[in-house]
Order: sequence, then C-alpha cells, then structure tokens
Amino acid sequence: MPMFNLSGMSNESKEKNYDVVIVGAGPGGLSSAIYTARAKLKTLVLEKAIEGGQINLTNMVEDYPGFVSISGEELADKFVEHAREFGVSFANEEAMEMDLSGDVKKIKTDFGNEYTAKVVIMDTGSNPRKLGVPGEDEFANHGVSYCAVCDGSFFKDKPVVVIGGGDSAIEEGIYLSKISSKVSVIHRRDKLRAQKIVQERAFKIPNMNFFWNSVVTEIGGGNSVEYVLLKDVKSGKITKHSTSGAFIYVGLVPNSKLVENAVETDDHGFIITDEHMETKVKGVYAVGDVRKTVLRQVVTAAADGAIAAVDLTKYFD
Amino acid sequence: MAALLSEEDKKYLVDLFGKELKSKVKILFFKSDDKDECQYCDVSRQMLEELAETNEKIDIEIHDFNDESELVERYKVEMMPAVIMLDKDGNDMRVRFYGVPSGYEFSTLIEDIIAISKGGDVELSSATLEMLENVDSPIKLQVFVTPTCPYCPKAVAMAQKLAMKSKYIQGEMVEANEFPELSMRYNVSSVPHIIINEGAGEFVGALPEDAFVEQVMSVVKGA
Repeated sequence: MPMFNLSGMSNESKEKNYDVVIVGAGPGGLSSAIYTARAKLKTLVLEKAIEGGQINLTNMVEDYPGFVSISGEELADKFVEHAREFGVSFANEEAMEMDLSGDVKKIKTDFGNEYTAKVVIMDTGSNPRKLGVPGEDEFANHGVSYCAVCDGSFFKDKPVVVIGGGDSAIEEGIYLSKISSKVSVIHRRDKLRAQKIVQERAFKIPNMNFFWNSVVTEIGGGNSVEYVLLKDVKSGKITKHSTSGAFIYVGLVPNSKLVENAVETDDHGFIITDEHMETKVKGVYAVGDVRKTVLRQVVTAAADGAIAAVDLTKYFD
Repeated sequence: MAALLSEEDKKYLVDLFGKELKSKVKILFFKSDDKDECQYCDVSRQMLEELAETNEKIDIEIHDFNDESELVERYKVEMMPAVIMLDKDGNDMRVRFYGVPSGYEFSTLIEDIIAISKGGDVELSSATLEMLENVDSPIKLQVFVTPTCPYCPKAVAMAQKLAMKSKYIQGEMVEANEFPELSMRYNVSSVPHIIINEGAGEFVGALPEDAFVEQVMSVVKGA
C-alpha cells in the first residue's frame, strides 16, 4: 500500500441523469462501467465506502490473470483508473432507496440526491457473515473483528484467533501472523477449504497453529476479548483458549436489502439473474458477490460485469 | 528524505488543485523536532510541504507544539503531529488531523483542502443542514482510524463536513496507532470508531449520512 493513497478521490458529477447507474464499485461494477463507457453510455458509479470494494480488504491477490501477486488495494486502483480513463463518473454516495419499476429507474442517496437511469446494475457485494455465538455482539469492536487490514494493528504482539477455513480466513491469518504474536486458526472440519498454495504457505508459518474439528461456542472477557470457548465437534469436549482478538471469516451475507422486494433472491438473499445477469425486472442487472453464483472471485465478478454490460446495450438500440 | 509523493500523484494534484481551488487555504502544522516525542512529525511535515508545492493557494505554517503555547492554546491543539485548516480569512474551519493523514486518509485531507478553499462548500442533505441549525453547544467528534482501513475516510469526511457547516462542531481524525494511550482509553480496537464529546457517546462504523447524524444528535439531545 502506498503511504499516501489517492484512490478515494471522487470526480463528483453534478449531472443527475444517466444511461446506466451502477450501485457499488467492486470489480463487477467497474468492469461493467468500462464496457458501458466504451459503448458511449453515460455511466455513473455510486460507492458508499471505497472504490474497488472488498478487494481493498485483501492483503494480496494472486489469482487474477496478469498479476502474479498484487495487493488488493493496488488492483482496485487499477480498475478505477481504467474506468476513469473511459469517462465513467463516480460519486461517493450510498444508495438508500430505489424505484426500479418504470422505464426510468430512480436512485436516492444518503446525500439526498436523486439519480435516474435507464439501466441499473447492482454490484452491492456482501458483508461478513456473523458467527452467531454468545459474546460476538458484546465484544464487537472490542476484540471481535471482521477486517484484518482495518484492525490488525490493534493486536500487535498479542495472540489472536481466526475462525474459518476458506481463502479469506487463511489469507488474513497469514497477514495477521506478521503483526500478532500468534495466530490460531479454528476450523470446524479436519481440512481447509482455502486454495492449496495458500494452505501450504500457512502451514510453514511458525506462529500459526490450527485447531481442527473445532467450533467456537462463546467469546468472553472483561472490557475486551480474553478467551474463546472451543468445542471439539467429535468428542464434544469444551476447552478455554486465551486470546486478545477474534477475527471471523465464516462466509458472506449478500447486500441485497435495498432491492429484496423488487427482484428475485434465493433463500440466503443472493440476487437471482438469468445468464445475461439480468434480474426478473427489466433493465435491472446484478453482478459480483451479491448475485447467486457458483464462485465469488475477482475474475468472476469482472466477467459478470462484462456480460451484463454487453447485454444491456439492447435497451439503447 | 526521498520524495513522499510520487511524480504521478503530484501531477494529479497539480491538475486537480488547478481546477478546484478557489481561495487560499492555510494549514497550521504543529510538531516537535524531538523524535522520541513525535515519531512521525518529520514525515507529516514533509508530506505537507510537498503538497504546498503543488499549488500556491496552499499555505503551510509550521509551529512548535512545545514552544508556541499561545497558538496551541488558541486552537486547543491536544497532540501532535496536528494539522489544522483555516480559510482565506484565517477562520478556523474546525477540521483537525492528529497523526499522519496517510494511506486512505490522504484523500480526505485533499478533499478538505478543496472544500475549505470553496468556503466550506460541502454536500450534505437538507435534513442534515436543518438539524445543524439546532445545534447550539459544542460537539467534538474524534474519528479513530488506521491508514489501511478502507471504510474510515467516509467517517472522517462526514465528521469534518459537519464541522465545516456548524461552528459548534469540531471534526477530528485520530490515527489510532500513533496515539495508543488515547485509543486504549476509549477501548478502540475496530475502526472507524467515533467518540462524541470525550466519551459522552460513541459508535463504530462508516454509517450513511442520516444514521451518522442521528448518532451524533442522540448524544447532544441526551445532554
């Protein structure tokens, strides 16, 4: 990460009416934006936090073609730069209300602006799933965290646990191992789901250890986290494990609340689209993590974005 | 020390400031030359000086935290490195940065400079502006951040926008790692963590504008 980073700058546009409004500036939305801008459609991207979306939270991306190893934040930067180069507008605003029923879609933001567009692309991504155990809410922000790059530095030379066994859990565990005194990975199965190359790397780190077949049943402490209770899923035995922090990576919850009554979603809230990324509502598309899909990676989000962008040109012929 | 800002970023800033800056902005910087007392003062100072080189409308005034107690008092500077922004007439715009505005926070610093050069021209909803009309007692908003937190600039920007629009509100960025004791006092371990009036209220997270304002107002009304 560069010491002084300008990626959050928005070239705010006073224009309110667009051909395409993209809600969320993750890889899917930005990929769509590149294609729609090149199709000469007036395109606005709304982003509530930081352009690039969740890849900013990833320390290193090593599976996006063309980059052997690149920080998530740098890759995000390149996506944004690419979109800007073709004239995409950005606004640092959060969509709060949407009217998607008519031919002209309306989007109200937290700044009180109302934008219109013929086509809307939802790239609202997902949030970390909660573990759902006692103490999780009580110690949220006091030792329980879902963002290693944000909060890792508060656990310098202290022991932490990472809960989960997927790519995020192990990659962020590796990141934390450079800051914390010890990283204990707690996983409910006897092997990890993370990519093999990431697993191999993690197994070689001296201050990383693994609790297999174990689930956290409680997070406890005084003013901040002091321990987690671990249950061995085979024997049922419960042990107390001392720790200063608990980083939780147990899956994702889609950010689809804004449109859940307008479009079709599955039982978990992921937005259902056809193979062109279009929802049941004409002119409303979904791309990236928020969509019901079999794989959620930067490369698949980008592909979603391209497919949606090419399909939606049918509304402008 | 080698240049902190890349040539590319400098070019970007020259171009951006050339287009956006209206009137002068004065930045007061408070430091100590003692490394033990202020590990990051050097870096902060150099970054500000490089920033000032990109446009003549940006004035940097460097002050010593220990020797200039009158100024420290006047602007109620609590820690260092500290950045305080004044408009063209020397009015305090109630914007503070404690610690280096580095990483993602650098954008916030740039956006503040632009807003202040336009006389505090920031975008807020009409509901928020109305709410601010009713504020008549001091509100201090300390936004604890880390430079690597992508959600944090939104919270800092929100606090500082409110500050620019109400003379009762002060909006501060506090780099949590640089001020561990203060972070400990407020039990900060997730960012952004917003402390209202020295602990009278607090919340965590980059909330949308209406929810952010609601959190702030709930404390003020309860007082």
